[in-house]
Amino acid sequence: MSANLSAPIEAAPPGRVRPRPSPAVVLGALAVQCRVLNALVLRETKTRYGNHKIGFLWALIEPAVSVAVFVAIFSVARQDSPGGMPLVPFMIVGFCAFAVFRDPWNQMQGAIGQSRQLLTFPQVTTFDVILARGLLEIAVSVFVFWFLLYLAWLLGYEVRVEQPLRLLAVLGLMATFGVGMGFIFASIEPIVPSIKQVSSAAFGRPLYFGSGLFFNAESLPPQALDFLIYNPVLHLIELARSAFFHGFESGVASWFYAISWSLGTFGAGLLVHQAMRRRALMSR
Amino acid sequence: MIRLRNVSKRYRTQAGFKTVLDDVSLEFPVGASVGILGLNGAGKSTLIRIIGGAEPPDSGQVECDQRVSWPLGYAGGFQGTLTARENARFVARIYGESPRYVEAFTQEFSELGEYFDEPLKSYSAGMQGRFAFSVSLACDFEYYLVDEALETGDARYREKFRMAFEERRANASVILVSHNEQTIRRNCDMAAILNEGSLVLYEDLKEALREYNILQNRPR
Repeated sequence: MSANLSAPIEAAPPGRVRPRPSPAVVLGALAVQCRVLNALVLRETKTRYGNHKIGFLWALIEPAVSVAVFVAIFSVARQDSPGGMPLVPFMIVGFCAFAVFRDPWNQMQGAIGQSRQLLTFPQVTTFDVILARGLLEIAVSVFVFWFLLYLAWLLGYEVRVEQPLRLLAVLGLMATFGVGMGFIFASIEPIVPSIKQVSSAAFGRPLYFGSGLFFNAESLPPQALDFLIYNPVLHLIELARSAFFHGFESGVASWFYAISWSLGTFGAGLLVHQAMRRRALMSR
Repeated sequence: MIRLRNVSKRYRTQAGFKTVLDDVSLEFPVGASVGILGLNGAGKSTLIRIIGGAEPPDSGQVECDQRVSWPLGYAGGFQGTLTARENARFVARIYGESPRYVEAFTQEFSELGEYFDEPLKSYSAGMQGRFAFSVSLACDFEYYLVDEALETGDARYREKFRMAFEERRANASVILVSHNEQTIRRNCDMAAILNEGSLVLYEDLKEALREYNILQNRPR
């Protein structure tokens, strides 16, 4: 022990000394990580959906209303079904797939400030409290997607997923993308609280209108498409519809472009979090 | 064993930097309960948060190979909007204890009655303290970090808690921050004084208290 004490320690980073990684240590750390995430997700479920009876219902109502409104508008305008796709499932796929990207991002943003108390526990890290929120929102938004499709089917609309695995892959990319955005903004938010408004005004709103939630890319005038084609979320929604509908194959969406953005943003999110976490933790 | 190695910590305040810990190295002896004495604002709470891992030091390391509690204070660590029951289950989950056991123990021991299913934010400070200590007793820690709040609740409850703690101290130690000499004398085997960034451990409790009195009475 005493020999150990006198050994040079410059290389060690500040903080708690972690044991050298061995399989047992890594497994142990992984177990703690899972425990903490599990506890946090259960807690988030309580705080977000448990306290108000309407909590979870709202998660269903919001997209349902959006879909209904846009279906109504497009029916009145008597536009032909977009790209040959039936209108109701078309809108459901647009809005619900988008939610798998937007909701984790939205909810993750305030995670550190609103979970400050829990960071008193040494095993609960800023990474955990941010990720837990994202995981919950992904689960809820995917469930809502499924539920609205089920509802549409009950109402007599034809609902058949052409390529379920491809659809799942697209939703996975949506979630990855959203979690990446969430990490970026959640890590900056404690230091620059106004980033939340920026995020909604500069990204949230334009993406809502410019990602093809209620239109398909090829129905756009060429000048608009030339510009919107740089929006990766538009690619993802087009890919989701290509996977969902029989006989529709987007002519503009690129898997490569969508995957690059999703993974790139995810990586950027982790890097930003790594760079900011100490400052975020210390800010009050 | 808990050991601090070259731990430094400072805060930015309006008046410039305030150094709380200046290259502190200290080993807390195994099995000994240690009181931390210090004037107001010396950084006792910061020290205990650093030991507990709730806050990172600016430099240096904290080593420990035992189950250390989170820094027990009044409400620190709990979600005010959730009930005591939900908070107890949360703590059990992150420490890998059985939620059912921790919940039952806490409910029984805290004597909160029907308040156990009310949001924590509706509690008085005394009740919050009672809850926090009951949860921590339900978990099997080898080191309890206590920030100032042993003197919580009414006299009868205090006595009950003190007994339970005494019992626990057979195989668990405590690091305790307090202004109250009585509390330190009753719960600790030795004491350390935190002053102007340095932390000095006195193995003789009486000597520590004597030094602390001198420090307190020194004109500033």
